[in-house]
Amino acid sequence: MLFKLAYKNLEGAGLRTWLTVGVLSFAFVIIILINGIVNGFNDQAINDAVNWEIGNGKLQNEKYDAYDPFSIKDGHGILPDSKNKDLVPVLIRQASIYPQGRMVSVTLNGIDINQKLLKLPTILLQQSTEEIPAIIGKRMAASANLKKGDQVLMRWRDSHGTFDAANISVAGIFNTNVTTVDAGQIWISLKKLRAMTDLDKSTTLFIAEKDYKQERVAGWKFLDQDELLKDLRAMVQIERISDSIIYLLLLAIALLAIFDTQVLSVFRRQREIGTYISLGMTRPQVVGLFTIEGSMNSILAIIVGGIYGIPLFLYLSYYGIAIPAGADNMGLSMGEKITPVFGAGLVLGTISLVVISSTIVSFLPSRKIAKMNPVDALKGKIQ
Amino acid sequence: MNSEIIISLEHVTKRYKVGDGDFTALSDINLQFKKGEFAGLVGPSGSGKTTLLNIIGSLDSPTEGKAIVMGKNISALSHKESAMLRNYHIGFIFQVYNLMPVYTVFENVEFSLILQNKSAAERKKAVMESLDWVGIADMANKKPSKLSGGEGQRVAIARAMVKRPDILLADEPTANLDAKNAHAILQTMKALNKELNTTFLFSTHDEKVMGYLDRMIHLEDGKIREDEIIPHKLSV
Repeated sequence: MLFKLAYKNLEGAGLRTWLTVGVLSFAFVIIILINGIVNGFNDQAINDAVNWEIGNGKLQNEKYDAYDPFSIKDGHGILPDSKNKDLVPVLIRQASIYPQGRMVSVTLNGIDINQKLLKLPTILLQQSTEEIPAIIGKRMAASANLKKGDQVLMRWRDSHGTFDAANISVAGIFNTNVTTVDAGQIWISLKKLRAMTDLDKSTTLFIAEKDYKQERVAGWKFLDQDELLKDLRAMVQIERISDSIIYLLLLAIALLAIFDTQVLSVFRRQREIGTYISLGMTRPQVVGLFTIEGSMNSILAIIVGGIYGIPLFLYLSYYGIAIPAGADNMGLSMGEKITPVFGAGLVLGTISLVVISSTIVSFLPSRKIAKMNPVDALKGKIQ
Repeated sequence: MNSEIIISLEHVTKRYKVGDGDFTALSDINLQFKKGEFAGLVGPSGSGKTTLLNIIGSLDSPTEGKAIVMGKNISALSHKESAMLRNYHIGFIFQVYNLMPVYTVFENVEFSLILQNKSAAERKKAVMESLDWVGIADMANKKPSKLSGGEGQRVAIARAMVKRPDILLADEPTANLDAKNAHAILQTMKALNKELNTTFLFSTHDEKVMGYLDRMIHLEDGKIREDEIIPHKLSV
C-alpha cells in the first residue's frame, strides 16, 4: 500500500521528481561506468603483465632483486637440468648503447628464442641473419630513436669484468603496455648473451609455464603471480580510490537533492501529514510513506539509468574506449583501447549503494513526522 | 436514535503553554453524545470548538478530565490505538477539505479502506456507493484540482463516510461554500445521519449549519454556556 501511495505522490510531484531522478540516475551510471573502466583497466593490466612478463610466476636466483640493479652482476646461477622443466630461462645483464653518439644505459635480456609463453616476438630473433639481432619495445625505440633494421653499438662486460662491444641490429619493434619489458630493455637470444658474457648455462630467472610444478631448489626462490602482481594491484587500488572521489561527489549531489526534497516535503505537506493521521494512519506508517517516497527516487533512477545506461555499457563492452596515444597519465601504461568490465557484482553493488544511501537520506528528515502534533500539522503551523 | 452513549466528556480541561503562562482552551467540559445525534459546537472563534473536536477525534488529549470515545479513554490510548480508533470509528471533514491533490476522487475516498486492508472489490463497491450518496459518482476519475468547492466538500464527506464511521466530526464544513452548496451539503449529511445512524458533530458558527442541528452546545471562552436541544425546524 505504502509503495503505491509513494509512487502516486512522486508521480504527482512531476518535474521535481524527474530532476532528482535524472541527477541520481546520472550518478548511478557514472559510478558503474568508472568502476567498469577501472575493472577493465585492471583486467587488461594484469593480463598484459601475465602475457608479456610474468607468465605463471618466476623462479629467480636468490641473489637477484628486480628492484636492485646492483644485484644483476651476481644474481644468476645454474639450475640443474632436471629442475628446469616447463620454465623459460632469462639471463639479465647490464649494457650501454650509443645511438647517435649518446650513451644510454640498458638492461640486456637474453631469452630462449623458441619460447611461446610470453608475447615477446622472439621468433624475429630466430629468423634474423644478423650477428646480434635484438628486439625492443616501442618506448625503447622512441627514446633511443631506433627503428627496425637500425644498427647500434652496444658495450657490455663479460663475467670476468672485461668490456666488450659490438653492433646489434633491431630485428623488430614490439608494441606492449607493459613498460617493464619495454623501457630501457633490449632482448636478444639467450644463447648469444651467454656466449657474449661467458656465462654458459647461467640464468637470472625462469618464467613458469602453465604446467610448471613448483618445488624447492636451493639458491632459487619462486614468486607466484599474486606476489608479482601485488604492486600492480596496489596501483589499481589507488586509481580506484581517486576515481571513487569523483563518483561519491556526484552521488552526494544527488543525495543532497533527495534530502532537500524530503525536508521541503515534510515542511510543505504538513496538512497532508495531518490528514493521513486523521484518516487513521499511524505515525510510523507516515514516516514509512515519506521514506519510501524518497528512496523510490533511487528505484526510478535505476530504471531511467538502465534505459540509457545499458545500451551505453553494451556498446562500450563491445567496442571499448579508445585511449589517445601517450595517454599514460593513470600512473600505469594503458593500451590503445580499454574494454570496461561491468560485472553483476559491480551493478548489484552500485544498486545497493544508491538504494541504501537514498533510503537513509530520505528517512532522516522524515523522522520529524513522528514527533509532529497532528493538530498543528493539520493547521500547517509547524515551523 | 438509540440511547447508546458513544462520547462522554467528564471535566475535560485543555491548557496550552503560551510563553511563560498557560492558555485555557477548554474548562471543565461535561458532555455526552448518543449514537445518531446531529449536534453542533457553536460559538465564536477561540471558544474551544475545534479543540474539543480534536480531543473527541483523538488527535489531541485533555490536560485534565476524561474523554471516553467508543468506550476508550483518549488519554490512555497509544498512537497505534488512537490511529485504529480514527481508522474504524471516526470520520473527519475539514473546512478546507484536505483532499490529496495527486489522487483522483476515487483514490481519495478509497484511502481509508486501504488502511483497513479491504479487498479491491470491497473497496470499489464501497467507494462507488459513497460517491453515489453525495451525488458525484460521475467524477470518480477527476483530480481534486478539477472540482468546485461544493464538489470538493462532497468528496470529503464521501471519504469520511465510506468506512461507515460511528462518529463524523466536521470542522466548519461550510465555511468555504456558498449558500446553495452549503445547504446541499448539509442536506446530504442529514440524510446520511438518518440512513446510517452516524453521530454527526459539527464545529461551526455558520447560521446555515445551526438551522439543521438537533442539538447545539454553545461554547464561550472554553466553557459551555448552553446545551440546547432543538425541535426539528427543517425537514430533509
